[in-house]
Amino acid sequence: MMKRLASLLTVAASAMLVMPAHVHAQKYGGELIFPVPSEPPSYDGHREETFGLIHPLAPFYNTLLRVDPNDRGGTKPYPSIAESWTASADGKTYTFKIRSGVKFHDGSTLTSKDVKASYDKIIFPPEGVGSSRKGQYADVASVEAPDASTVVFRLKRPSGSFIASLLSPYNFIYKADILAKDMHWYEKNIMGTGPFTFVEHVKGSHVVGKKNANYWDKGKPYLDGFRAIFIRSSSAQVAAVRGERAHIQFRGFTPADRDSLKAALGDKITVQESPWDCILMVALNHEKKPFDDKRVRRALSLALDRYQASEALSKIAIVKSVAGVQVPGTPYATPPEELEKIAGYWKDIDKSRAEARRLLKEAGAENLSFTFKNRGTPMPYEPLAVWLIDQWRQIGVTVKQEVIEPAAYYTPLRSGDFQVAMDFQCGYIVEPDLDMYKFLSVDRNHANYGRYTDRVLDEMYDKQSSATSDEERKKYIRAFEKRLLDEEAHYLMTLQWHRIIPHSSKVKGWTVTPSHYLNNTLDVVWLDQ
Amino acid sequence: MLQYIFKRVLLMIPTLFGVAIIIFLLLRVVPGDVVEARYMAQGSQFLSQDLMDQERKKLGLDQPLWRQFTSWMGGVLRLDFGLSMWTGSPITEEIKLRFALSLQLAIMATAVATLLAIPLGILSAIKQDTWIDYAVRVFSIAGLAMPSFWLGILMILGMLIIFKWLPPMVYTPFWVNPWDNLAQLIWPALAVGYRYSAVATRMMRSAMLEVLREDYIRTARAKGLWLKLILARHALKNALLPVITVIGLEFAFLLGGLVVTEQVFNLNGLGLLFVEAISHRDYTLTQALVLIVASFFIFVNFATDIAYAWLDPRIRFR
Repeated sequence: MMKRLASLLTVAASAMLVMPAHVHAQKYGGELIFPVPSEPPSYDGHREETFGLIHPLAPFYNTLLRVDPNDRGGTKPYPSIAESWTASADGKTYTFKIRSGVKFHDGSTLTSKDVKASYDKIIFPPEGVGSSRKGQYADVASVEAPDASTVVFRLKRPSGSFIASLLSPYNFIYKADILAKDMHWYEKNIMGTGPFTFVEHVKGSHVVGKKNANYWDKGKPYLDGFRAIFIRSSSAQVAAVRGERAHIQFRGFTPADRDSLKAALGDKITVQESPWDCILMVALNHEKKPFDDKRVRRALSLALDRYQASEALSKIAIVKSVAGVQVPGTPYATPPEELEKIAGYWKDIDKSRAEARRLLKEAGAENLSFTFKNRGTPMPYEPLAVWLIDQWRQIGVTVKQEVIEPAAYYTPLRSGDFQVAMDFQCGYIVEPDLDMYKFLSVDRNHANYGRYTDRVLDEMYDKQSSATSDEERKKYIRAFEKRLLDEEAHYLMTLQWHRIIPHSSKVKGWTVTPSHYLNNTLDVVWLDQ
Repeated sequence: MLQYIFKRVLLMIPTLFGVAIIIFLLLRVVPGDVVEARYMAQGSQFLSQDLMDQERKKLGLDQPLWRQFTSWMGGVLRLDFGLSMWTGSPITEEIKLRFALSLQLAIMATAVATLLAIPLGILSAIKQDTWIDYAVRVFSIAGLAMPSFWLGILMILGMLIIFKWLPPMVYTPFWVNPWDNLAQLIWPALAVGYRYSAVATRMMRSAMLEVLREDYIRTARAKGLWLKLILARHALKNALLPVITVIGLEFAFLLGGLVVTEQVFNLNGLGLLFVEAISHRDYTLTQALVLIVASFFIFVNFATDIAYAWLDPRIRFR
């Protein structure tokens, strides 16, 4: 006990020593300008799915919890509207203490009633109210507000990922009174508790926010305001940063863009990079022959030289790391030396391809040919598809690529009208429950476009989700990964995306994370000018 | 003349009705819809089919086609284009700002093109087979060969590399700040206007050469009239007929057709809105845009015909 107290005091003392210097370094003022590649359809974070909503609108809101803005891993929970929280011993009740003194931009005080109303809208939306992430909270039985500063979530069963699911940057806290009058009000209006207040949105052009002088986190934000400019063309976004018309683009640029900006602007550009919590995968339709045969699926995975691809493709595309079911370097990711044991991840590509040819022969699919459906989004779908087709060609497989316009892409995937197709997953946080849900049997997750049923896999998922220790959870995740990618080869992973943010060196206080949905509240960002 | 105008106006109605039917049906033939575009773009895995069905119902996409069409047409007849399926905002609001920008750019590009094309075309014709003619022809062929968006990219790179300057990224209306407005729009107007002028210059040159060989020009010359007077009073009016057609059609095209140029210069115009509306499967917005652009084309054609009738009295008596 004394030892823990001593270490706590040491941490507190070091923090006191470090904090003043850190605080003094920050400068106030300035307008942060950033391009956003897409525009939000509506203003309702609970309803929408796009980062085009998060980048310009997150600064107007707070969430119950957030990811630590200084955590490069993008997984550590950090207080926001909730200043602290506790979980019951059985893991089924979570109690949150709501911060006092938080004001909405209209001057009213935020209470637990607002948190409850917001989460009720997300988890139990009334008829006619869209909630994109309702499915994530299937384990929540109720949300209660016993007093003005307490919110209690009661779960049907313990969930290892419950806290992570509350870190969603989309879960803006809205005002209960407004929701009570009109559940759709937030689709067309903006009014939160965030560090910036809404000034204007000119359709197709920009969103402007100005500093919230009454922000609850005293001393923040540092910026006077921000201006999010909608720029669809990536070359125009790069030109905006290069021409110093914009400071930063929060989604990511290509390696070539990074190099050209660095070459043109030198020290005026700072580059932050991170593995990106997005990955393109190959969905093999188990309802179509011969992809119902796991030997064929394994052969297609064994044909891929992921290590050579990592080297070559990372120079031209936004992909880099060789990965399993978790983003490399994150707490539950399989270490490289273990990953190498999975079929398709062997370092000896000749051995791997010989095995692939043997499996195809054994399955009677030596002259296999199929149509590969790919989404008509150039980066990184195009280079990855070219790579895949070339790799498969090297084991004698002939592939015809069919490129489909993005808006129509999921129609064949959902209806099962394909043989092999590119699939995509992108998350706001690296969390096995959220990342692996995709691969559950098709009757548990309709977004499993492999259209298979695998109860063993489902059981492994459930076990890791309810595991009581990290070690136990890791064990089930490894087993899940081995079955998904090797034994059954239900899905084939390509390469983990790689997030590259070259930004003006004036931008300080912003840390890259594996997700382009995180760290957009802008309360800790400042301009060194 | 009035009867001629009345007939032309009446003809516009079936044309627009035909356009409305075609665009309505074509959009529904294309796979995917706005609900899928909205919720599946990020590959969502937690989305329920119920939510998608609810959204479709809310947008009226569960209704039979004839009912969707009649309800849309009813609105159009009252000049109410409805709400955008993507944003839920009134379509007039979505189009208003973009229309102003596109119209201004179309006018500026047309002005650039006309100011270049007419004098250069005339000069080239009257100095046929001299170095001036060759220079004008090289200039205009270069304009035809270079896509305006490519010229735009060169302009932007040139400004960035040489002057370390980039045009403003956000549109400011002319009446708010003329300097910022022109600083943004002059470059795309030059890029587009140059290509546009190339077509018109070549048309002007060939029309002028043809007219200059006409008997009445020879007669005017034989009478000892001044060359300037012959050109201005007798040749130009007749040579302008095909040039006006080209300018009119290009002007209508500029309103919604500058998709890539708008992307290069980050212009919040109708071209980009068009592409976004289609990629979002925003039926109501796409239908409204098609009708507006079609109306504009029809109107410009109508204005061109009126100009023809004014320039050539024989037309209005036929």
